[in-house]
Amino acid sequence: MFNYDFMQNAFMAGTVVSIVAGIVGTFVVARNYAFLTHTLSEIGFAGAAFALFAGWPALLGMMLATSGASVAIGALESGYTKRDNVTSAVSALAIGLGILFLALGHTSTTAATGILFGSVLGISRQDLLLLLALALLVIIVLFFNYRALRQLSFDEAGMFLQHGTQKMVRYIFLIIIALSVSISSQLVGSLLIFVLVTLPAASAKYYVTTTPQLMGVAIVFALFGTWVGLTLAYLTNLPTSFFIAVIEVLIYLVSVWQFQKNA
Amino acid sequence: MMAIIQTRDFGIRYGEKAVLSHVNVDVPAGRFFALLGENGAGKTTFIKALIGHNQQTNGLLTLNAKRIGFVPQFRDITRDYPLSIAEFVGLNYNKGWRLWFSPVEKQQIAAALQRMDLSDIASKRLGLASGGQQQRAFVAQALVQQPDLLILDESTASLDHEHKVALLQNIKQLQKAQDLTVLFITHELKLVSQYADGYLLFDNGHVTQGEAKDLGALTTKMTAPYDEDEVRHV
Repeated sequence: MFNYDFMQNAFMAGTVVSIVAGIVGTFVVARNYAFLTHTLSEIGFAGAAFALFAGWPALLGMMLATSGASVAIGALESGYTKRDNVTSAVSALAIGLGILFLALGHTSTTAATGILFGSVLGISRQDLLLLLALALLVIIVLFFNYRALRQLSFDEAGMFLQHGTQKMVRYIFLIIIALSVSISSQLVGSLLIFVLVTLPAASAKYYVTTTPQLMGVAIVFALFGTWVGLTLAYLTNLPTSFFIAVIEVLIYLVSVWQFQKNA
Repeated sequence: MMAIIQTRDFGIRYGEKAVLSHVNVDVPAGRFFALLGENGAGKTTFIKALIGHNQQTNGLLTLNAKRIGFVPQFRDITRDYPLSIAEFVGLNYNKGWRLWFSPVEKQQIAAALQRMDLSDIASKRLGLASGGQQQRAFVAQALVQQPDLLILDESTASLDHEHKVALLQNIKQLQKAQDLTVLFITHELKLVSQYADGYLLFDNGHVTQGEAKDLGALTTKMTAPYDEDEVRHV
């Protein structure tokens, strides 16, 4: 199967995306940002739809939309507004706009399903390089702020004394999530962002107790699902996203089950 | 005795509203002070001013602490919270990018755990620890960078009586052994009166300072709002 260029590209893209999703997901899960992450992927859908309408690359539209929205959500987020309510309002608007731009742009159904469900087998060498560059950017920014992000995600109350840092790290984190969502969408699509960003990290927390370990296990779970999913998709001609989703959900269920049994 | 916190005609306002005014207190270094008063009386606002969060202040506030440790009231620790107690205590190292703790940091974490009697359960998941163990872990986290001023915001509120006493004894010991200044925000006046050296009473925008020996009189004079714990147990 590795004789085919598209399979090589798909495996490399899958590997890059899984590593980013595992690392960023660890912080997303710790900070209870799963819902926000999902919303950002819907906003990404709107951005991609707009990009197709305007004749830009879909990934560019996605990145601009998610980054803009995450900053807006960060600014709206305060003690007075419930985070989930703000996010659902933004999410509803985003999907509406996405549908509008798809209609206006007379976009083909293939392109639309590509955004929503991922099109990893259609990734070109050029897409792959862009993906790799973005992934590196995300990882570098994350690690330069690693310790502050760790405290923000795992114990925001503990940042009481560092009020200024807290504000800045919040925004950095939101941008990191926005970029990771755009990257991961390339593989599993906007609708299934949970599958790679949230589920592996959520499963990992039932096994290990330090942040580096959490990131490591999350990466392993994400990689396992991606590699096995791609192989099964190649063998059966069924959608990759389907297999990745099933594998990650199974891992999650088994993790919760064994934790409850032992705890 | 050197004052670690000193205010002269100090006030804080939120816009038009004066939260505190004409505050004159001298908290000596190395003492255990109870911060008393109803919810909304300005205790937290005062603490925020100490840390430097409030901009709208007037008068004089002198703080002689080199490093402050703070134990917040509310924390979001669910049963599936993954970090171990030792890892949680180390979260306070929040500068830089180093993935693992340095040898010095590890040493300081171990020392803080030992002081709070947590060494044996350092690798236990915080989410699965008891309420008393969790509170001790919160205090240990604030101790990790060796503060000379430790502020605790209602740390005993969620504990049963036995654990309240144990935590207060632990902190009292720490205060004496390390020459630490402790500010203990609480509603549980009767409980804390056995450990405090003095108090600051927040009431109606004013702050009254008193000594430990007056706490008894305060206890009998005051009723429900200051001693919720007692009310609950009647």
